[in-house]
Amino acid sequence: MEWKDVLPVLVGGLVILVVALVVKPALLGEPIGFASSGSVPAGDPPVYVPPAPVPTATPFPDDGEAYTRSFRWTAIDGGVRTTEVRVPEALFLTHRGTSRFSDYNSWGRYALADADRPLLEDLAHRIAPPAANPDEGYFRLMNLVFFVQQIPYDRDDNTTSYIEGVLPSHAMYVKDGVEYPKYSVETLVDGRGDCEDAAILMGGLLDALGYDTVLLRYSDHMALGIRMNEFNPYYAKYTPRHFMYGGQHYYYVEGTDFDWGNISVGSTAIWGRPHPIGDTSGTGIPSVQSETPQIIPLRYVPEPGEYQIRPVRLPAGGA
Amino acid sequence: MDPDTPEPSGLRIPDLKIPGLLKLTADRRKALTTAAAAVVAIAVLLVGGMVFVSFHEGQQVAAFNSHVSASEADLFLVSGKITSHMRTPTNDLSVAECDAHVREFAAIANYGRAVTAYHRRIVAVDAVPEAYAGAQSAYVRALDNLNRAFTFWSSAASAYEVRDYNAANRNIAEADKAWQEYNAAITDYDRELRVVEEGPEVPPA
Repeated sequence: MEWKDVLPVLVGGLVILVVALVVKPALLGEPIGFASSGSVPAGDPPVYVPPAPVPTATPFPDDGEAYTRSFRWTAIDGGVRTTEVRVPEALFLTHRGTSRFSDYNSWGRYALADADRPLLEDLAHRIAPPAANPDEGYFRLMNLVFFVQQIPYDRDDNTTSYIEGVLPSHAMYVKDGVEYPKYSVETLVDGRGDCEDAAILMGGLLDALGYDTVLLRYSDHMALGIRMNEFNPYYAKYTPRHFMYGGQHYYYVEGTDFDWGNISVGSTAIWGRPHPIGDTSGTGIPSVQSETPQIIPLRYVPEPGEYQIRPVRLPAGGA
Repeated sequence: MDPDTPEPSGLRIPDLKIPGLLKLTADRRKALTTAAAAVVAIAVLLVGGMVFVSFHEGQQVAAFNSHVSASEADLFLVSGKITSHMRTPTNDLSVAECDAHVREFAAIANYGRAVTAYHRRIVAVDAVPEAYAGAQSAYVRALDNLNRAFTFWSSAASAYEVRDYNAANRNIAEADKAWQEYNAAITDYDRELRVVEEGPEVPPA
C-alpha cells in the first residue's frame, strides 16, 4: 500500500470535516467549530428592581383653618350624646378636589383614606369609648352604628347635600342622576349624605375600631356588612340577615333610613328608632328585601390563586 | 529410488508462465490493498464520526443542562420573591400599604417576565439531540406560559393603579390559567426527560 492510495481517502475525509465544521456553520450562521450551535449572546441575566418608595404624604396641620361640626344623637341606651368634630379645611378641600372612581369596587378606598384615619380613630373612640368589660363590645358597636344612622340623608343630586350649595366639580353624571361617593370627612363636614356615604363613613369608623366590614351593593342601594361569628340575639323579632364572603359571615347593617318622626304635631322634638344589625325588613327598600348584594371589600389587592414555581430535574448530560 | 520413476534426464520442462498472469496478480494485489485501505479508512471515519457525533451530542446535552440549570437558578430567586410577597397578610393594610403591596407585586411580575424571556431565548435555540427535543420544547412552553402569567400579573397591577378592580380580577384569572398551563408543561418536560434517560416505560406522571 502506498501513500498515493490512502491520500484520496484522507483528503475526502478532510473535505467532509471542513464542510461539516466550517462551510455548513458559515452558511447557516452558526458558530464555526465544535462550539454548540445553540449558544446565543444573551447578556447578563435580569435582576430584581424593587419599586421606588413613595414619599409619605404630609399630614394636614391641626392649627390651620378647620371646619368644626357638632353632632347630637341618641345612643343605644336612649341617652342623648353630643360630640364635636374638627376637620382641617385643607383636608376637606383636597378631598373635594379629588376625582371620583366610577367603579364602585374601589369605593372602599374612601372609607380607608389614610389622611382621614387619625380623625376617624379619634371620633370612633369618642363615640364608642373602650370598655373594660368585653361584653360591652356590642353596645360600643351599636352606638357607632346609631351615630351614623342619625346623620341626615340627602341625595347626591341635591345641592343641599354640600356645604358649598352646589354640586362638586367631580360629581359624576350617570344614567339615573348624579353619583358622588364622599370621603368620610366630607360626610362629616357636609353633615349629610346618601346611602353609600353613610356606608363609607360607618365602614371607616368601624375599621378604626378593628371591625372587619364590607360594602353591600344593591341595584339602587348600598349598605354595610359587618363580620360577626354568630349573631342571633334572643330578643330579635327577625332572623338576622347575613352574607358569606371568604368563608365569613357578614351581617347587614343599614347606614341610613333612621326611622324617625315628630313626637307630636307641632313639636320639634323627634323620636327615632335605629335599625338593628341584620334587620333588613325595616328598611322599606325593595332591593334589600329581594336581591343578593354584591360584596365589596374595603381593602383590595390583586391576589393570584396560583403562584408556585416548580423546580425541575436537569438533563443528565451535564451532571 | 523408485524404479518406476524415471530419473530425470536432461529433459527440461518448459517454463509455462502465461504472459499477463503475473501482471494480473499484481494488479489484484494492488486493488485488494487499495480496497483494504479504503475499508480501513471508512471504518476509521465511521468510528471517528460516531465518536464525534457522540461527543457532540454530549456537548449539546451539557449545554442544554447548563441553560436549564441557569434558568432554574433564576426562577428560584423569582420564586423566593413571590413566596415572601404572598406571605404578607393583607387584611389589615392601610390604603398606602395596599398600594405599596401592589407596586411590589408589579415589580415581581416585571422581574419574572424578564427572567422567563431571557432564559426562553437561550433554551429555545439550544441544538439538542433529537431525543431531547420533546423535553426542550416542553421547557420552552413552560417558560412561555410563565412569561404570560407574569404579563397578566403586570396588567392586573396596572388595572389596580387606575382603580379598575374588575379588570385586575380578570387579569388575575387569566394569570391563574397560564400558571396551570405552566404546570402542565413542566409535567410534560419531566416525563419527556424520564423517557430519554430512563427508557420509554416510564409511568405517566
